[in-house]
Amino acid sequence: MSIGGFILRNAVRNKRRALLSILSVAVSLFLLVTLLVGLRELTQPPTDEASAARIVVRNKISLGNLLPRRQRATIEKIPGVAAVTPFTWFGGKFRDEEVMFGQFAIEPKLLLTIFGEAKMPPEQFEAFVNDPTACIIGIKTAEKYGLKLGEFMKLQGTFWPIDLNLKLVGIYADGIDDRNLFFHHRQLDEMPNNTGEVGTWWVKAASLEDVGPVVQTINAAFANTTAAVRAETERAFQLSFISMWGNIKMLVLSICSVVVFTLVLVSASTMSMAVRERFRELAILKAIGFRRRELFAFILAESFGLAAAGAVIGVGGAWGIFNHTDLVASASQNFMVLFEVTPRIMGQACFVATLLGIVASIAPSLSVARMSVVEGLKTLD
Amino acid sequence: MQTNDLSVPLVAENSSEPSIVQIKELSKIYRQGEINVTALNRISLSIARREFLTLMGPSGSGKSTLLHIIAGIDRPTSGHCIVQGVEVTQLSESELADWRNQNVGFVFQTFNLLPVLTAFENVELPLLLTRLTSKQRKKQVLTALELVGLADRTSHLPRQLSGGQEQRVAIARALVTDPQLIVADEPTGNLDSTSAHEVLDILRSLCNDAGKTVIMVTHDPKAAAFGSRNVHLEKGELAP
Ligand SMILES: Nc1ncnc2c1ncn2[C@@H]1O[C@H](COP(=O)(O)OP(=O)(O)O)[C@@H](O)[C@H]1O
Ligand SMILES: [Mg+2]
Repeated sequence: MSIGGFILRNAVRNKRRALLSILSVAVSLFLLVTLLVGLRELTQPPTDEASAARIVVRNKISLGNLLPRRQRATIEKIPGVAAVTPFTWFGGKFRDEEVMFGQFAIEPKLLLTIFGEAKMPPEQFEAFVNDPTACIIGIKTAEKYGLKLGEFMKLQGTFWPIDLNLKLVGIYADGIDDRNLFFHHRQLDEMPNNTGEVGTWWVKAASLEDVGPVVQTINAAFANTTAAVRAETERAFQLSFISMWGNIKMLVLSICSVVVFTLVLVSASTMSMAVRERFRELAILKAIGFRRRELFAFILAESFGLAAAGAVIGVGGAWGIFNHTDLVASASQNFMVLFEVTPRIMGQACFVATLLGIVASIAPSLSVARMSVVEGLKTLD
Repeated sequence: MQTNDLSVPLVAENSSEPSIVQIKELSKIYRQGEINVTALNRISLSIARREFLTLMGPSGSGKSTLLHIIAGIDRPTSGHCIVQGVEVTQLSESELADWRNQNVGFVFQTFNLLPVLTAFENVELPLLLTRLTSKQRKKQVLTALELVGLADRTSHLPRQLSGGQEQRVAIARALVTDPQLIVADEPTGNLDSTSAHEVLDILRSLCNDAGKTVIMVTHDPKAAAFGSRNVHLEKGELAP
């Protein structure tokens, strides 16, 4: 028998308790990883260079307030601006349902100039530009609804007082978000009783160096008009969009701390119980010559082993499910696309598990240290 | 980690000294708030090598306390206890642990064994603290188990053994490190007379054949009859 074998034998002596404590660690760590992954998903801005050169211009009051169409000419004249498109959220129902894909009115011929990343066959793009009733969608939405080129998509306006019937002429892939639908802004512009408003302007700066000055110039240009604007980079825009959810980061992080705290309490009391009922045995070990530090090592190893087993199941399980299946993407109807356990998140969860193993062994170690052999021998099981 | 490395005055006159335990004016007083309980009152006692000493006396007379101090798992309030020339009362906690591992074998009244370990593994425990290889350990464990007549029960768990067999495994564990001193606190207290007889026979032969010194607490006169000398304790004092 080795010392390791001895520790293992002790750890699993009460199989149900060992299992329950491993499972409680596993479930809690799984929850922790899920929260951290979700948080990352929500706050992760696009980081590529193209998006850094994009500027979003919206109404200073709120995203719900629209902007006058005449602003476009002013923006286009600003030095360093490569292209400007209106970009208006439609938010219609499709097949009588609220849907999770965004529908945006834009200026089709500027699509590739401004949102260059997406891949689409040139002839489909051509067809989109040339047909004012056409639309394109991302591959994920196409697959989800089984949509084919040439099909008509009916969108019922909810925010805008108009229903659209759009011909699907293109399907793109590998964009920032392969779910969105784009159609001609003309559809909104030519709507009866149209007041000539757009949701936002998306601006492409000529180069990264131009971004800062362009943002400042746009903000200044409309500062004292009836529609003052707020221009910012796409990244900043996405982040501020997140903050509209309330301080979600704080919320998630405080749930995480509660999870960790509870986990520590549960593990510490499990270990204390496991050691308390073994007091007599530990006293016998002391009598035959085992020293305090050896008994500490046993307790630490056992506590650590249970936490590690829980971590393997909980963190490993999260990794397996989130990184190797599409469960979350389909369960969230493609709202959460990436949902990826990064090495950093794994590291954080393993750090928590390590801490747990150590903290849970402190109290039992102290009581074993205080226990004299004679005292321990008097405790009967 | 040898006992003679320890920086403790060697009080024993020389190695030819026949007494293995020398107790002088040993007292143990428990303070419980205002009340003092005197468990041992200025006891002096000398135990010779190869003696089978039995400690008798009514319950609460201090037998266990005396045994615990001699075996280095309890400390006296005052007085001296010299075992094999070492003043055990002056050793530090970890020095004492090493000392016990090499010099004392323990047999308690009940629940001596670790329930998750087999008979073999229970006996092997004290050897895990030595530098022996697993092959050497195995040899010693088997020898010890053979000595108590349980060579065929190596892979049994304690719950698969009878009370008498459990005590014999405990004796095997007590002698596996080849200590000079074996201490037993009412080892037959929970056994039927046949098993008790087997256990006492083994303890006696450890003394007579293997040259160990055995100190056994008992309140059974029949068990005490196995000893070579009998000492009575009465309210923490030696009875004449
Ligand atoms: N931890 C303790 N606190 C207070 N008194 C104790 C403690 N341990 C033992 N005693 C007292 O010391 C005396 C001797 O105890 P012990 O050596 O166990 O007796 P025996 O083994 O002869 O029955 C008893 O009166 C007992 O009540
Ligand atoms: Mg007693």
